[in-house]
Amino acid sequence: MDFDAIVIGGGHAGIEAGLALARLSYRTLFITQNVDTIGKLSCNPAVGGLSKGNIVREVDALGGEMANLIDSTMIQFRMLNKSRGPAVQAPRAQADKFAYNQLAKWTLERQDNLQLFQDTVTDFILNSRGNKIEGVITERGRRFTANAVVLTTGTFLEGMIFIGDYTSVSGRIGEPAALGLGVNLRKMGFSVGRLKTGTPARVRKGSLDFSKMERQDGDGEIIPFSFSRDNVERPQLPCHITYTNEKTHQVIRDNIGRSPLFGGKISGKGPRYCPSIEDKVVRFPDKLRHQVFVEPEGLESEEMYLNGISSSLPEDVQEAFLKTLPGLEKVEVIRPGYAVEYDFIDPRQLKPYLMTKKIEGLFVAGQTNGTSGYEEAACQGLMAGINASLYLAGRGPFVLGRTEAYTGVLIDDLVTLGTEEPYRMFTSRAEHRLSLRHDTADRRLMPKSKEIGLLRNEAWEKFQEKLSRTDEVRELLRQRRVTESEIKTVDGALYTVLKKHIGKTYEQTIKDPDVTIETFRDFDDVIDRTSKEWLSLVELDIKYEGYIDRQERQVKRFEKMEKMKIPENFNYDTVDGISTESRQKFKAVMPATIGQATRISGVRNSDIAVLMIYLGRKK
Amino acid sequence: MKYYEYDTDDMIAALATPWGESALAVIRTSGDGCIEALSPCFRGKDNLSGSDGYSLHFGRIIDPGTGNTVDQVVAGVYRKPKSYTGQDMVEIFCHGSMPGITGILDALRNTGFRDAAPGEFTLRAFLNGKMDLTGAEAVNEIIRAKSPQAMGLALERLSGSVFNSINSIKALVSGILAEIELQLDYAEDEADPEAVLSTGKIETAISGLKELASTYRIGKVIQEGVRAVLTGRTNAGKSSLFNLLNRAERAIVSEYHGTTRDYIESLLVISGIPVKLYDTAGIRVSDHPVEAEGIKKSGEIIEASDIIIYLVDGCDGLTAEDRKRIDLFDRKKLIKVWNKSDISTKEIPEDYIAVSSLTGSGLDDLEKEIVSRAGAENIMLDDRAVIDSQRQKTLIDSALLSLENSLSAIRGSMPLDVVAVDIKEALDSLGEITGEITTADILDLMFSRFCVGK
Ligand SMILES: Cc1cc2nc3c(=O)[nH]c(=O)nc-3n(C[C@H](O)[C@H](O)[C@H](O)COP(=O)(O)OP(=O)(O)OC[C@H]3O[C@@H](n4cnc5c(N)ncnc54)[C@H](O)[C@@H]3O)c2cc1C
Ligand SMILES: Nc1nc2c(ncn2[C@@H]2O[C@H](COP(=O)(O)OP(=O)(O)OP(=O)(O)O)[C@@H](O)[C@H]2O)c(=O)[nH]1
Ligand SMILES: [Mg+2]
Repeated sequence: MDFDAIVIGGGHAGIEAGLALARLSYRTLFITQNVDTIGKLSCNPAVGGLSKGNIVREVDALGGEMANLIDSTMIQFRMLNKSRGPAVQAPRAQADKFAYNQLAKWTLERQDNLQLFQDTVTDFILNSRGNKIEGVITERGRRFTANAVVLTTGTFLEGMIFIGDYTSVSGRIGEPAALGLGVNLRKMGFSVGRLKTGTPARVRKGSLDFSKMERQDGDGEIIPFSFSRDNVERPQLPCHITYTNEKTHQVIRDNIGRSPLFGGKISGKGPRYCPSIEDKVVRFPDKLRHQVFVEPEGLESEEMYLNGISSSLPEDVQEAFLKTLPGLEKVEVIRPGYAVEYDFIDPRQLKPYLMTKKIEGLFVAGQTNGTSGYEEAACQGLMAGINASLYLAGRGPFVLGRTEAYTGVLIDDLVTLGTEEPYRMFTSRAEHRLSLRHDTADRRLMPKSKEIGLLRNEAWEKFQEKLSRTDEVRELLRQRRVTESEIKTVDGALYTVLKKHIGKTYEQTIKDPDVTIETFRDFDDVIDRTSKEWLSLVELDIKYEGYIDRQERQVKRFEKMEKMKIPENFNYDTVDGISTESRQKFKAVMPATIGQATRISGVRNSDIAVLMIYLGRKK
Repeated sequence: MKYYEYDTDDMIAALATPWGESALAVIRTSGDGCIEALSPCFRGKDNLSGSDGYSLHFGRIIDPGTGNTVDQVVAGVYRKPKSYTGQDMVEIFCHGSMPGITGILDALRNTGFRDAAPGEFTLRAFLNGKMDLTGAEAVNEIIRAKSPQAMGLALERLSGSVFNSINSIKALVSGILAEIELQLDYAEDEADPEAVLSTGKIETAISGLKELASTYRIGKVIQEGVRAVLTGRTNAGKSSLFNLLNRAERAIVSEYHGTTRDYIESLLVISGIPVKLYDTAGIRVSDHPVEAEGIKKSGEIIEASDIIIYLVDGCDGLTAEDRKRIDLFDRKKLIKVWNKSDISTKEIPEDYIAVSSLTGSGLDDLEKEIVSRAGAENIMLDDRAVIDSQRQKTLIDSALLSLENSLSAIRGSMPLDVVAVDIKEALDSLGEITGEITTADILDLMFSRFCVGK
């Protein structure tokens, strides 16, 4: 074998897969169509956001790279959802996309055991029985052999972009699609579908009038995505907000017939949660305006990204409607918005550790599995890389549960439910969301990553220090009680609140919504010496304890079902009384447990009951 | 009952109507090939084996062993899947005589049918997708139903009115959850500003659930019977009235005071309402320990009753003792009866029902009053959904509690992620009655109702 492993694709999934394999000492070949586009942010110049920010921190805790990349290149930081509850807060940062892409490439280049190579993979080499991977063949006819291959082709597999009547065989505008592989995957018997997504225009900063827009600054305080960092010092740029109006919508309505989407040219399904502006106008005719965020693409760039207004209408229409927006009257478009349609592999053909069921040694991650988003791609890439390494080592797979990480929820959803639109993470998808806070990702995952051997020592040591300090603080809060004398110095309103708690432990007192842990800084030295971030971790653990218990009870009701296993090659045709739709769905997914079966969308309760009765009877 | 002990398609048979003498009885059979199997035992103009589904055939059942006629019957044929169980079925309508019924069942056993276990027909219906769990429960209750009204109620649920009203509340709560989830999944500046959480919707859901929960007592009354107790001074004629209401000599009647010492109960059906009627020891000061014990016991029964029928001895008229006791009872439960009206010389007060336990006069008035106190008149008049299973009641109550918690969480300015726990809990409870709401359903709602996403 030429290599231990081959990673195909230099996107966010590929980066994590390649680094994980190489860091775990496997000789890895990293093939991508163009090494200059490694880690390119194809769409919005931002990383993180609700639930996605949690994923970035999970990637960091597992020994991945994404947090470090964004910490080093961010140009605005915000903690989202501060008003809606600590458990669903998440960090988001605008990235300098050029710096991000540059740093990603450089990080790979410096990595031992990792060889970068520019080419396009067009076919696989299989063993004689056709059930095991042995390598890849490229466009230029090169053959490379390896025992494990990670496939991360993003939007490039048989990619096709659309702008009005214009179409081009590309994965991103100006970048050729990867042709051949999609056809060969179909030949190998994979079920491959089409999905669609879109991006808005990039415009010249100098042509915009910001005085007509609302300004949106980042937070003063930056919390690093990476647990290994104490702080981030980066220049901060503002974003701006403007709105569409009736005129904008009129232009769009008048030209809707020229949209490739509405004209029926695009067959792939787009995401409902991130609709194009033409979608928004058609589907929500009563909405008088839609928000548009004007975001900088980099420190050393004049390109601005128009978030919220992606479109595949013809360029003249795009320009016409953009000019109706306040502040964009004189807009100069540098790159137009477009839609892209691409092949994805039905992820139900994967095992929970991202290896295909059909071909041993072939792992798939990222947009190729039907997801969308950099973070979603990164966490899969990392899991695929880790599992490819375990496969090479002959060790058992590494699978995260739904209680352990958003990453676990994402992969379980994909391999169980498949997807009909580009899959994006939402906190709502995680039934254990209160336990999946971004600030606990290290606690949840670092011990696992340590065991796999991917975690850097400094990260582990810092985590140990955090654990012992937060344990110490927690113990202290359990022991110490509020006394009359110590609250004397506290002023006004807070005094009245604290007075009610005299004699109670600090811990009990913190459960009061009107009390924060910061209150106790002045009362105790150890607390005072602890960072704000670590204190807040302890505080949330205390405040949410009761709710987490309840959430767990809710989840337990369904856990029983998780324990009921369905035999691997179960024949659903032998069960009478299951409705035809459900039978088809069961057959497509082949759920491993009754619990997994209940999560298949559109399966009737009574069918689950029949299945349970049937399986019970077999015993 | 362990479902999985059953084979689900062999031939089963059972008497579907209660054991005992009656005008008509129904024997039900179900299973693969049961129409053909029954054919040789059936003699009539038509041959059962070729007959259509939903057809009726007059004829005789013959014992295949002896060739003797067992009974004259009508056989109803159902072809799968259009039957109660979803399998081939024959229902045999026969005379309600014990020898006839046992004769037919013996004939069926000789033909290869086995006796059905309790609930097995319903189980098959469920396994064949003929009903959901709500339906299956209702069927169980139809079987156990003690009166026609109860049966009507059980059927009512089968037709889905509980299902519908819970579903509409569930839809409302799902909408609320979708609004919350939307705000949790999109940043403050990204969420649709129209998706603001309104406590009004939660309140609407709460009042809908409360209304549903309040029907439970009525439903329970119909299912289990109202408890009515006869009380009054000794010798007022309680036992006589008890016998009259039962239309049977159940209790000992004598002119001696203190005849009844231990209570007697009976179950009767008054215009369709099952009534559990108690005759109790008459009230007087007694130093006899057995009688004293009986009087104490009467007190407990009165305590637990829905209806208290107080008898005044019409010969003596209203005594001071009577007045004292009557004042102690809950007005809403109390029915005052002036017994021995046949020989009473006193003027009968207006709020008393005049009855003679000897002649039976006034019985109609008393029965009407009992029915109206049972609250059942209301039920018969409107067609509200009525819940009558303890399980549904418990789940509705817990959904109510969760929603009320969510309201106080919102009022106490608790964060939304915590409010979501309550709403989710409510939804899970409702989902246990009519079927789960999945995350996918909530996301669908979010995206179809609100315009979100950058
Ligand atoms: C037009 C557009 C709109 C988007 N809109 C959104 C959005 O609205 N929201 C959102 O969250 N995300 C959006 N994204 C998606 C986001 O860019 C991706 O989710 C993310 O980049 C996926 O990462 P990935 O690693 O799976 O693939 P990519 O980042 O696409 O990377 C794939 C890499 O693999 C290389 N490659 C592909 N095939 C081969 C091959 N056969 N041989 C060698 N190299 C190959 C490609 O050159 C590329 O470098 C959009 C992307 C595009 C292009
Ligand atoms: N004429 C007449 N006699 C009645 C009537 N009801 C009861 N009696 C008589 O009254 C006597 C007492 O009747 P019971 O029914 O035994 O009275 P009771 O209230 O059960 O008495 P205790 O069990 O002793 O408390 C009997 O002799 C009955 O025949 C009535 O309506 N008319
Ligand atoms: Mg008596």
